[in-house]
Amino acid sequence: MAVRDALPAPLPTSGLSVIARRIARLPFAVSLATLWLALMVVVALGADLLLPYSITAFDLKARLSPPLFFGGTFAHPLGTDELGRDVLSRLIMSIRMSLLIALFGTLIAATLGTLLGILAAHFRRFVETLILMAIDFQASMPFMIIALSVLAFFGNSLPLFIGLMGFHSWERYARITRGLTLAANEQGYASAVRQLGAGPGRIYGRHVLPNIASTLIVSMTLTFPEIILLESGLSFLGLGVQPPLTSLGNMVGYGREYITRAPWIMLAPATVIVLTTLSISLLGDWVRDKLDPTLR
Amino acid sequence: MSMTLLEATGLRRHYQVRAGRGPFGAKAVLRAVDGVSLSLKPGRTLGLVGESGCGKSTTGKLVLGFIPPTAGTVRYRGTDMPPAGTPAWRALRPRMQMVYQDPLGALDRRLPVGVQIMEPLAIHGAKSPAEQRDRAAGVMAAVGLQMHQFDRYPHELSGGQRQRVVLARALMTEPDLLVCDEPISALDVSIQAQVVNLLLDLQDQMGIAYLFISHDLKVVRQVSHEVAVMYLGRIVEQGEAEDLFARPLHPYTRALVSAIPVLGPRRERLLLQGDPPNPVDVPSGCSFHTRCPFATAACRAETPALRTLPDGRQVACHRVEEPALQVAA
Amino acid sequence: MLLFTASRALRAALTILFVMTFAFVVLRLSGDPALLIMSVDAPPEAIKAFREAWGLERPIWEQYLSYIGHAFTGDFGKSMRDGRPAIDLVMERVPATLAITLPALALKVGLGIPAGVYAALHRNSFADRMTMAVSVAGFTMPSFVLALLLVLLFSVNLGWLPASGADSPTYAILPIITLGASGAAIMARFTRSAMLEVLGQPYIRAASAKGVEWRRVISHHALPNAAIPTVTIIGFMIGSLVAGAVVVESVFAWPGIGRLLVSAVANRDLAVVQAILMVIATWMVLANFTVDMAYGWLDPRVRGTAAAH
Ligand SMILES: Nc1ncnc2c1ncn2[C@@H]1O[C@H](COP(=O)(O)OP(=O)(O)OP(=O)(O)O)[C@@H](O)[C@H]1O
Ligand SMILES: [Mg+2]
Repeated sequence: MAVRDALPAPLPTSGLSVIARRIARLPFAVSLATLWLALMVVVALGADLLLPYSITAFDLKARLSPPLFFGGTFAHPLGTDELGRDVLSRLIMSIRMSLLIALFGTLIAATLGTLLGILAAHFRRFVETLILMAIDFQASMPFMIIALSVLAFFGNSLPLFIGLMGFHSWERYARITRGLTLAANEQGYASAVRQLGAGPGRIYGRHVLPNIASTLIVSMTLTFPEIILLESGLSFLGLGVQPPLTSLGNMVGYGREYITRAPWIMLAPATVIVLTTLSISLLGDWVRDKLDPTLR
Repeated sequence: MSMTLLEATGLRRHYQVRAGRGPFGAKAVLRAVDGVSLSLKPGRTLGLVGESGCGKSTTGKLVLGFIPPTAGTVRYRGTDMPPAGTPAWRALRPRMQMVYQDPLGALDRRLPVGVQIMEPLAIHGAKSPAEQRDRAAGVMAAVGLQMHQFDRYPHELSGGQRQRVVLARALMTEPDLLVCDEPISALDVSIQAQVVNLLLDLQDQMGIAYLFISHDLKVVRQVSHEVAVMYLGRIVEQGEAEDLFARPLHPYTRALVSAIPVLGPRRERLLLQGDPPNPVDVPSGCSFHTRCPFATAACRAETPALRTLPDGRQVACHRVEEPALQVAA
Repeated sequence: MLLFTASRALRAALTILFVMTFAFVVLRLSGDPALLIMSVDAPPEAIKAFREAWGLERPIWEQYLSYIGHAFTGDFGKSMRDGRPAIDLVMERVPATLAITLPALALKVGLGIPAGVYAALHRNSFADRMTMAVSVAGFTMPSFVLALLLVLLFSVNLGWLPASGADSPTYAILPIITLGASGAAIMARFTRSAMLEVLGQPYIRAASAKGVEWRRVISHHALPNAAIPTVTIIGFMIGSLVAGAVVVESVFAWPGIGRLLVSAVANRDLAVVQAILMVIATWMVLANFTVDMAYGWLDPRVRGTAAAH
């Protein structure tokens, strides 16, 4: 009930002025977080245009050149690595890769979990028991360990890796969806529609899902940074994204080798990871407080 | 010829409940509905009254086939009710609808009420969007809603308006049976009268049959042709409405009727002793004997059947024919 | 209480069975287990022997049963790297992992709980805000970043502590701090909200309104009640000790289970991966079981009702 209470009525008037006014009312930290995330999205979308150098272009004359303001030049604002590759260019590609993986992972997890949650609530009995057991299993093992064993058994490839990230925290969505769907089915609008003779497609697609969407979206703000952290952790260990592709975790892992001579190689992606996850968490917390009193 | 629209025979609905604690706690059976038979003719209203928890809502759901009965049958126009959720069951929905106690809970807050009013037609197909809208406009006018409320959201309407929306939605497919489960108890007293009058008008115009569930006996008396009184999952008395209220025979009915506030000189009042028994642990014999001022040893031992008296009244009481218990009508 | 214990024990056993089944299914899905476990260039006779030993020619459910049987006796096959039984390789790494994770746990609890309680008792004070800010950082900073920052500071710049290896106890300091710091942040945040929740309860307000001394209200009423949810998170931390150490052990080249797991995954040394999976699962399950027991002991209400769920 509370979830539905919290649903905002459609924006009374839209237009840029309203949006601008809303942004002006944001807390300072949240505005900063929003700005940072906007920058990340722009970088991820416009990576090809923004890229100063190819990520594999060697500049052997400028190997391990330091960033701007630390004795570096405008040619390589964030410095270069051991092979003279531009850190900024690699960073841009890494941001795109990490955000894409996190995005797909989150979408897969949300879709899978929501689907299973609805199935459990719809069929009850055997199906529900089975899904609940899977949820319990997933929740009882740290996902890092599950992920590592799957990678060991199946080897690594990008599609597999993204799919694997999509298994992270599907159980959260399954739990939430099952709970809310059961509640809706027990009494209220969903059972009313069923009693009008509607089939499952209409009940779940047109009524239940739109009603629980806000809660699910809020959960995505939790999953997204978690997947960034998981992906970068695995990539850092060399078990995630494989060269020649690069992600933020890869860069940190690579930069670790040069931590004494060229710490910027590792610090640049590390900063991006921390700022991005921090921003999403801040923004997510804020959205959660605004939207969904039940999760507080 | 007044053919029977709906015929329920020997309906039972039992729930397994846990009486003890823990997974191995004792199981018990809750007889929410325990042998209810009723029948309804087109354009007529059967009122169903009784204390909270006596099984009125469960009976309503059984009658519409929302939940399967533990035993007994429901027949609509002579054919058995198909199991809930099957295509046959869904195809019957346009013919019979439910009106809920809590209209806000029965509406999707995310959709404009107009869309929801049209939904039965969208579900059961066959009509173009323009026709759906025309029909909705007609029904909305019939229930006293204005077209400018078409695009409103449920929370933007008053309680009475929402109940009209639920009614409008139920009427879209021109059903011939409405189960109204306490349709007015969530409304303000002033609006209650409006909705009751609306229901009566609709019955006049469209010939809908109502199963009208309520514990407000004054309203039941006003809308019903016939009234059935339930106690702990059974019908204990049933008869023609005016007659039943004027001359209640079962001690439980008498207690209920005497509790109706009336203007003028106070009548003899029959007070119920104690609370209704635990529905899991129904008393032996006549289940009312624990609270009945006239109970005898026989009442404790033997369950009275629902009998039809010469005047057509049906009563389940051993002592109903004893002159000592007759009250002046 | 006996019933409660029994139902929890049953659940624990079921989870382990589930993990085994998971490993079995994943192994079957990924190809011919004989080739995967024995490595491709193993001599054909050896592969044949392996197939017979594991019953790979028999029907699948028999294979499953025999797999479970082997797993229960700790037989996961031999490491393809050095040919020793996988379980031995894993067990000899356990002490090293415990040597950093247990002190880290002490750090989490010893730092996190007092900080959380203090923050809750001085809500909205500067100390509270600082604790919360640090704890947010603890949530969002990946452990490998923290580890590298510590290395940068203490090893590279200050030269106080060694950056990697396990030659003397000083080598354990940075891994312990890395593991402990983020856990302490989580612990502090959790304790704070548990405490705030309890402090808002009517019985606390009633006790202080009755004139019970505030210190006594805190120590006799608030703390014991806030301990209940806190125990859950401690249990979860104990359960995920090993899992959390995977990254940190790798960064610091600490010879524990986590590092073994990473290299086993990189080399696709499946016997070792399976053995580690089982060891971690067993550990998790035991930790959860212990927490459940502690829970029942701390909160008498649970004993009767939890079993009913
Ligand atoms: N799904 C269920 N599981 C177990 N018991 C149930 C279930 N549904 C109803 N009951 C029980 O069946 C009995 C009858 O319930 P019902 O809702 O029909 O009562 P009612 O007469 O409509 O009461 P009210 O006037 O309060 O609406 C109650 O004791 C109720 O607790
Ligand atoms: Mg009811």
